Amino acid sequence: MTSKPNGSTTRRAVLGAGAILPLAMSRSIAFAQAKQVPITIVINQSPWFNSFRQTVEHYEKETGNKVNLDVNPFAGSLEKQRNSVRASNGQYDILIMNSGWFAEMYAGGFLEAITDIDPAFKLDKDVYTLGDTVYYDAAKKVMTPAGKLMSMPISPLIPLLYYRGDLYKQNGLKVPETFTELEANARKLNNPPKMYGIVQRGARGPHTVAFDFYPYLYGFGGGIFKDQANADYTVTLNNEKGREALDYYIRLAKEAGHPKTAAFDQAEVIQQMVTGHAAHIMMVIAAWSQMDDPNKSAVVDKVEFAPTPHVVGVPSSPGLGHWLGGISKNVPDDRKRAAVEFFRWFQTPKAQIASAKMGAIPISAAAYNDPMSNERRYRWMKPMAESLKHAVNIYQFPEASEVIAILELGLNRAIAGEITSVAALNSMSDEIQAVMAKNGYKTGKLPPLK
Amino acid sequence: MTTTAIADASAAREERLWRWLMLTPTGLLLALFSILPILNLFALSFLNVAWKDGRAEISAAGLSHYAALPSDNLFRAGLFNTIVFAIFAVLGQLVLGFVLALLTSRVRRGSVIFRTIFILPILIPGIVIGAIWKLMYNPDFGLINQMFGLVGLGPFDWLKSSDTALMSVIIVDIWHWMPFCFLLFLAGIESLPQDVYEAAELDGASWWQELIYVTLPMMMPTILVTAAFRIIVAFKVFDEVYLLTSGGPGTSTEVVSFTIYQRFFTEDRAGYGASMSVVVIFIVALMLVLALAARRRTGAAT
Repeated sequence: MTSKPNGSTTRRAVLGAGAILPLAMSRSIAFAQAKQVPITIVINQSPWFNSFRQTVEHYEKETGNKVNLDVNPFAGSLEKQRNSVRASNGQYDILIMNSGWFAEMYAGGFLEAITDIDPAFKLDKDVYTLGDTVYYDAAKKVMTPAGKLMSMPISPLIPLLYYRGDLYKQNGLKVPETFTELEANARKLNNPPKMYGIVQRGARGPHTVAFDFYPYLYGFGGGIFKDQANADYTVTLNNEKGREALDYYIRLAKEAGHPKTAAFDQAEVIQQMVTGHAAHIMMVIAAWSQMDDPNKSAVVDKVEFAPTPHVVGVPSSPGLGHWLGGISKNVPDDRKRAAVEFFRWFQTPKAQIASAKMGAIPISAAAYNDPMSNERRYRWMKPMAESLKHAVNIYQFPEASEVIAILELGLNRAIAGEITSVAALNSMSDEIQAVMAKNGYKTGKLPPLK
Repeated sequence: MTTTAIADASAAREERLWRWLMLTPTGLLLALFSILPILNLFALSFLNVAWKDGRAEISAAGLSHYAALPSDNLFRAGLFNTIVFAIFAVLGQLVLGFVLALLTSRVRRGSVIFRTIFILPILIPGIVIGAIWKLMYNPDFGLINQMFGLVGLGPFDWLKSSDTALMSVIIVDIWHWMPFCFLLFLAGIESLPQDVYEAAELDGASWWQELIYVTLPMMMPTILVTAAFRIIVAFKVFDEVYLLTSGGPGTSTEVVSFTIYQRFFTEDRAGYGASMSVVVIFIVALMLVLALAARRRTGAAT
């Protein structure tokens, strides 16, 4: 990675450069010759960022190509991306887009299809297409392999159930597959304030409590829309399954969870787990490395992983909170080609296995099938591979951020006890239906829950 | 008309012309940098902005954005909390600032030490204030909970409970902005005419009577202007809420600036966010007019 030069040259600097030159020349022998122009990637500062940074450094070392990273907070990254793609000349070549906003970039016409830049480019057969969200058919406005390849998966984030394996052994508990089993185990281990049966993320944010609620909602057989894949946006959030899911979430928080659930964000939930105060969390897999980091964790080697629970007859249904990399339309062609070359390297099994060893969540089945997945350190890989088969793409329309904001407020208010679960579900459904109707989608709503 | 009168009229015309010539560039700059952006915001509040094929598509929205405001749960909560926040935070700052200014004005030696200590919080950047108070309120090792712990109370999670979150943010704002009131009040008190106090002393007025019948009435214009400034700034509160609670839990600390940020930037609803901004600008302008009117009345009375 490169940093900006300060532009001043002094005698000392010249002398210093003279001294360093032989060293730099010998060092450059170890690096491949740069074949592409430098590119800039705009990315968020997430728990998985460090592994991405190391992966980029690995790419630079292998190819000699240069990559600049512009690192921002979650919401700040979206704002910078919007500003860049809406300008006549874009600043960023690759946008690292969250599941909450990549549809906005597709539908807004801000990205160049990878195969339009390089028609010979092929997605590696082992790369997960994550609910086919890497494709977009602009004419039909749907994400389907019949559309163009618009992006490369960067981090296939979904939540998994993290649980304390040592406590399970001591108490003779079975790994929960259903929500009933999870509740029983959480109640059994609940001993506040020393130990909370489960710690959930209930705070309102850019995509916070809603993301935490998806595995409950979809795991109970509910959903936000009737049939999004076929463009039927009738809102079904406030059906009986939605109510069961939200009541269950709130009951867990009240009776086997943390009293401050409504104010807990991701960092606090992780903190409760690594300080040994949580028996379970349902957390995005990106936090796995913190569990075994002796500098951060008091529960090293004690945390195990499993697919998120569900009710009988419904599969485990983690919501996709993945990140995709797309190439801006408004940047020069040579930078677009350089971005494609980065993707070509990034998707190879070799790069993915190396990336996983740096702490990343691989996007390729090749890494999950590698012998490394049998190592104790990578014990999350098998449940992750299992869960990815059932991951649900929550949004495929550009107004997703409006719907997320409605869910964030309604869910947070229900969890904080400001309104009942029924009032929250009814009001969220009304507001979501209004958003979809305003934007011309085929929509409707159910009669209000009583 | 005499020759002198004609010359006078000509000079007056020339002076008027020069006055306009001199003022026009400043007026144009003011229009360009202050009024034009507000007019632009106002126009945007009647439009919808969508993006297609990399270009903005603008369509008329009529009054729909304004019509939607009353039913927006977040905006309603934000407006209510902002009013509560502004009233209690400004009251706290005025009372504390006045008391400290009064006490400091009576210190004969070393008053500069008190002044320096009292104005320190206003010099600290907002982000540092957030960090300081996040630590102070921490339920595990925060100073406030440790003090409560000494008398066997707590620990309390001040920022994560709906009952205490808004009050906690108000306390931070009082601490942060009290020095502003303190400085204005101290300057005001020190410039009051001493002969009035000497007369009151001769009349046998007690310290309390001096405060109620002499100091407060004479300070009223300063108090009103300070209150007006502070209410306007309090209405725009954002950083403290963003850093400490992000508007939660629930909507307990949602403030209107945060709602605008959410609607305008996060959700990218430029037209709707603009309508919200226009309403807030109107409310703040109204408060400013009311405060200036009150000051004029008080000034005339005193």
